[in-house]
Amino acid sequence: MHKAIPDLKDQYEKGKMTRREFLRYASLLGMSLGAAQALIAGCAPPATEVPPTEVPPTPTTAPAVPTPTTVPAGPRRGGTLRVRGNIGRIDHPARFSWVANSNPARHVAEYLTLTDENNITHPYLLDSWEASDDLLTWTLNLRQGIKWNNGDDFVADDVVFTMEEWLDEEVGSSTLGLMSYLTEENIEKVNDHTITLHLDSPQIAVPEHLFHYPNQIMNYRTFEGDFIQAPVGTGPYTLDEYSEGERVVLKARADYWQTGADGQPLPYLDEMVYIDLGEEVSAWIAAFQGGEIDAISEPEATVFLALQDDPNANIMGTPTGQTRVLRMRVDKEPWTDNNVRMALKLCQDHEKILAMAHFGEGAPGADFHVAPVHPAYCERPIPPYDPDRARSLLEKAGYADGLTVEIAVASDWTDVVSYAEILKQDAAPAGFDIQINTMPVSAYWDLWTEVDLGVTPWTHRPLGTMVLSLAYTCDDEGEPVPWNETRWCDDEFTSLLTQAEGTLDVEERRQIMCQLEEIQYERGSIGIPYWQGIWMIAHKKVQNWKGHPTQYDLFNELWLEEA
Amino acid sequence: MRDIFSLVSASKVALAALAIVLFWIFVAIFAPVISPYDPLEQDSTAVNQGPSAKHLLGTDDLGRDLLARVIHGARVILVLAPVSVLCALLVGTTLGLSAGYSGGMVDEVVMRILDGIMAFPAILLYLIILFAVGASAINVVIAITIAGAPGIARLVRSLTLDIRTREYIAAAELRGENPFYIMFVEIFPNAWGPIIVDAMLRVGYAVFAIGTLGFLGLGLPPPAPDWGSMVARGRTYIWINPWAVLWPSLAISSLVVGLNLFADGLREEVTRYQ
Repeated sequence: MHKAIPDLKDQYEKGKMTRREFLRYASLLGMSLGAAQALIAGCAPPATEVPPTEVPPTPTTAPAVPTPTTVPAGPRRGGTLRVRGNIGRIDHPARFSWVANSNPARHVAEYLTLTDENNITHPYLLDSWEASDDLLTWTLNLRQGIKWNNGDDFVADDVVFTMEEWLDEEVGSSTLGLMSYLTEENIEKVNDHTITLHLDSPQIAVPEHLFHYPNQIMNYRTFEGDFIQAPVGTGPYTLDEYSEGERVVLKARADYWQTGADGQPLPYLDEMVYIDLGEEVSAWIAAFQGGEIDAISEPEATVFLALQDDPNANIMGTPTGQTRVLRMRVDKEPWTDNNVRMALKLCQDHEKILAMAHFGEGAPGADFHVAPVHPAYCERPIPPYDPDRARSLLEKAGYADGLTVEIAVASDWTDVVSYAEILKQDAAPAGFDIQINTMPVSAYWDLWTEVDLGVTPWTHRPLGTMVLSLAYTCDDEGEPVPWNETRWCDDEFTSLLTQAEGTLDVEERRQIMCQLEEIQYERGSIGIPYWQGIWMIAHKKVQNWKGHPTQYDLFNELWLEEA
Repeated sequence: MRDIFSLVSASKVALAALAIVLFWIFVAIFAPVISPYDPLEQDSTAVNQGPSAKHLLGTDDLGRDLLARVIHGARVILVLAPVSVLCALLVGTTLGLSAGYSGGMVDEVVMRILDGIMAFPAILLYLIILFAVGASAINVVIAITIAGAPGIARLVRSLTLDIRTREYIAAAELRGENPFYIMFVEIFPNAWGPIIVDAMLRVGYAVFAIGTLGFLGLGLPPPAPDWGSMVARGRTYIWINPWAVLWPSLAISSLVVGLNLFADGLREEVTRYQ
């Protein structure tokens, strides 16, 4: 047992930590979920001492989470699940930059860990992990007896090979920025089933990082840079067909390492088919209601609104850290001046934007990129809409006569366009004349790190520190990391973030997060209008249906009522 | 002018079509007076509503009055479409007259270039141009001008080839008139009939093109009350608020039908007159 776990238990007993947080950190430190639950069984934190920030605040209008009304008798085998998805071009999983690309593939290739729908991380291809007291050395114990779908044994060489791919600059994976504490030389293969990672700086979130969506483990014997050419994985399905923009056909394999409730190998389904219905959500709704698909992966708010009263729809709602980031390039005029950045942030009426752009489904943001669902979230007030102060800041910055700026948005993201339109209207009294430059999604993704002012969607990450290190830090030479789209570098922020990543004590870490949030709000480069509530939608015949805050499709244990 | 009036009044179809077009012109001119609300005014308390006494045609996803947006949208489209066609006429007529009157190498070079442009489907040409230069009112006009001018040039050239053989052209040349005088004073006034009918049809196409570009997200940037953009935006919410799609769609189709029927009626009467 990690020496910090008794301290965690003590914090839990004193009410400084929620049960969910205790389980999260105990599991992150290598304790199994069952053991962690047993450790605190009978302990209950005094309710009166629980600080309000410990529990993620309930969104003003929480996403609907209907409870399935019927309890299924038991898993049934067979059948085909048809899922609407985005079938994009993929080659190297480490280069995934879109969750949708990882979803069909994650049923063929798997991850070392799994962060579940409750934001708790479990070992997966790992049997267990252990962290040193100083959080600088992590020992990963691989699960034994797992076979790749081509018959090869899953061994440490596969993991070492895949990690080297993540850290290879030529591959260009986002993991390079996320796991900047790791270098290829510091990955040590101890034996065929054990690996030790020697980190450059303390890091508590290694297991969570291992579930970052590009981090699918590849077979070192077969992988040559294109997963479609050699779709060898440890997952429950094999890749039968991959037609970009059309469909993906996945066939169940008979010798998967996990077993179902009936004692037989998973999965319960015979086949899964991902169907690309294009970007037109009306087609998704029509296909769902017409029985052509059984589930909708990554549904938008309008799909939820259209299907929320459908008697055949089972909708799982989840609050998330997924958001739309108002990002300002600090190396470009006029955003070099913090007064201008703050002025624009003050033109946001967060509650109104949430109500109109995302139908009130989520929680208002507060202009820093840490969400209420993140464990170490430090609660801060929602900044009020203040066009008067914004105007005086613009005057201070030398724009007394007003300022015309162009904002880039992708026209297909309806809520983003709505957000831009609301901002345009609400910023006018402050002196901003915002010209909205719409473009197709593909064009925006070509420019997302380059535009001066834009709105970029950022997906949920289980820990606040993960997204902060991905998007708001610079390397040792002072160069922004690959996904730092605003080029914002702040030494104090980076230093505090490194400190937070290595701090186990939840209260101590929350205090650091308070400082990080304060810095990002006061002199940062972004506005956060709202945190999106999201949904997973399936037909009621699909059993064991669960939501996931990152919109990961975790379909290994689904079955169909009418197989 | 009297000729045009007598031509139009002779055709019932043209008269009915003219009434539709005049209705939209009236709406566009008096938009600030007849519009019940500011078309950009958002109302967070009245999002995606159906028709009611307060909002006769309902509201969109940002609580904006759909009637106000349709009315002001007429201003946008009834300025952009004729201006686009006028620009295309200017460019196409100049090129067509030059190619047809000069003949030889000038004719060959100009027409082959225009053939090259015409080889592209019009919608593809719009997309290429607007992707390259970005979406804005001026760029929409430029795109429609570039896509429309070759067709007009081809028509004007064929008319010019016929007219240049007339005796009054030979007379003008004998008088020593310069080529510009001959093209624009002698040839063009005698070719205007088919050009006007063609232009009327092209205004209808331009309305449709502007609507299509708006639908594809390449029309006027938001929050402009562009009919095509309104259809595109509304279709996202069609399952909960079909009105947001219905009204701008009806507006586009009625204006296009009006313009096309007017051009058809005019052509029939011109043909009969000739």
